[in-house]
Amino acid sequence: MIELEHIVKNFTGGIHAVNDVSLTINDGDIYGIIGFSGAGKSTLVRCINLLERPDSGHVRIDGVEMTELKPKELYRARTKIGMIFQQFNLMPSRTVMQNVAYPLRSMTAEQKRAKVRELLALVDIPDKENAYPSELSGGQKQRVAIARALANDPTILLCDEATSALDPQTTGAILQLLKDLNRKLGLTIVVITHEMEVVKNICLKAAVMDAGRIIETGDVFTIFSQPQHQVTRNFVRTTSNLSKIETLIRDDSPMVRLKKGEVMARLVYIHADVSEPLISYASRAFDIEINIILADVEVVAGVMVGGTVVIFNGERDRINQAIEYYLSKNINVEVIRDAGTDA
Amino acid sequence: MQELMPNLMRRLPEFWKACGDTLLMEAWAGAIVFVFGLVFGIILTVTKPGGIMQNRPVYQVLDKIINLFRSIPFIILLTALMPLSRAIMGTAIYVRGVIVPLVFGATPFFSRQVESALAQTDKGLIEAALSMGSSPFEVIFRVYLRESLAPIIRAVTITIISLLGLTAMAGAVGAGGLGDFAIRYGHDRNMQDITWVVVIVLVIGVSIVQWLGEDFARRNTH
Repeated sequence: MIELEHIVKNFTGGIHAVNDVSLTINDGDIYGIIGFSGAGKSTLVRCINLLERPDSGHVRIDGVEMTELKPKELYRARTKIGMIFQQFNLMPSRTVMQNVAYPLRSMTAEQKRAKVRELLALVDIPDKENAYPSELSGGQKQRVAIARALANDPTILLCDEATSALDPQTTGAILQLLKDLNRKLGLTIVVITHEMEVVKNICLKAAVMDAGRIIETGDVFTIFSQPQHQVTRNFVRTTSNLSKIETLIRDDSPMVRLKKGEVMARLVYIHADVSEPLISYASRAFDIEINIILADVEVVAGVMVGGTVVIFNGERDRINQAIEYYLSKNINVEVIRDAGTDA
Repeated sequence: MQELMPNLMRRLPEFWKACGDTLLMEAWAGAIVFVFGLVFGIILTVTKPGGIMQNRPVYQVLDKIINLFRSIPFIILLTALMPLSRAIMGTAIYVRGVIVPLVFGATPFFSRQVESALAQTDKGLIEAALSMGSSPFEVIFRVYLRESLAPIIRAVTITIISLLGLTAMAGAVGAGGLGDFAIRYGHDRNMQDITWVVVIVLVIGVSIVQWLGEDFARRNTH
């Protein structure tokens, strides 16, 4: 278990990099920390293995207070906390074999070789042990870095923007690998990212950081479906098609021009049972037309999340009844535009 | 040969001795400069603000001392350090007498070269090594020195060549060597063949050092 309590870290010039952050991460979690660049998330994650020493606050890992360890104890403790980076940070003068063997200690050369081969098999690049990092692709480099981070059988893996330098396909493959490692080894994984996609893809719980503080925590599904804070909403929107409606409105697209009596609304599923035919049912039951402009439904943390942007056309009373019906079905209705009625 | 360089041919034994003296100065001073410069360069790198063993007083003092000695023209250093030379080496002349000023003249230069070679090490590598539980000393030997091998070799090359220039000046105050040989005969007595031969020998020497250094550095770059 990782427990951070009231962590404060300032940099010279009085900048609050991390400002009173408390966070608990349970064993076996894949925990996301998301924020825009400069939010302090990289500094926060470095407070876990004390690459950055907090100015005040407590860092406890499995009950051990990290800030009170003597240097030698700290070096030993760090071998049990793996870390991977955006730029991979492989040593260019060493082969893959030598890179992965770097953190291994008190082993014979033969044992080291065996351990490295085992690790390379685990991250699925068994045939690259004699290559130099410059001969590898980004995804392969990150796999080597993961193997190296796991060399001393850590219980925790810290990922600092580990997929931000990779293309979307490779990102997917690396995230899948992390997920597998989490399941196979029971590894606790802390994922720092500015990409909502990453959190959505592998995390069950997440914290949103802004200006050195944590502004929202919870399970990823809730953060996604009911973001409380404006920054979180912005993040959620970056991954949703529904945000395109704002662009369409700004550009005054013909698609979003309303006639008298029409209402444009965003329907967002919260506790979604999207198996019900919500649109066609409401259309028939209240005798109105419902025109779908945009739709976006996806799976987050194993649950459907999403919504549609629709235009209602019909008598105002009936439109209101339809909206009531949706609200009763736990669907969040946000009226974006209302053309008004003649009456 | 006799006709082409009459003056040199008449002084061949003296010429060979001059070559030997120059090599001797290079070897002794070079070896000592290498050790001190490497140590100072490493200390500068790790104690500098943001370094892995950040230590402001140590860094500031060393930084200023190096700047001080780099600012003193070598010809002044040569005479100013004579008492120290006598105290350490027992003499202030010949090859033995000039090792001390050569070390003082070249160590600050090489320290800076090492500092800038180590500064090229990717900060991410240091961070990765620390995250894997390396101590600062491990980081110095297993990351800084190992990963900067090529730039350090280039720094050694440049320093050997600049040291060669210093040995020529040292010749002027009685150290012997090729510089002294060229000045005494080539320059003072206008024996141009001697000047030319010394220049050619130095060019060949510099080229060999440069080529070896480059080759070695290239083979350590992946």
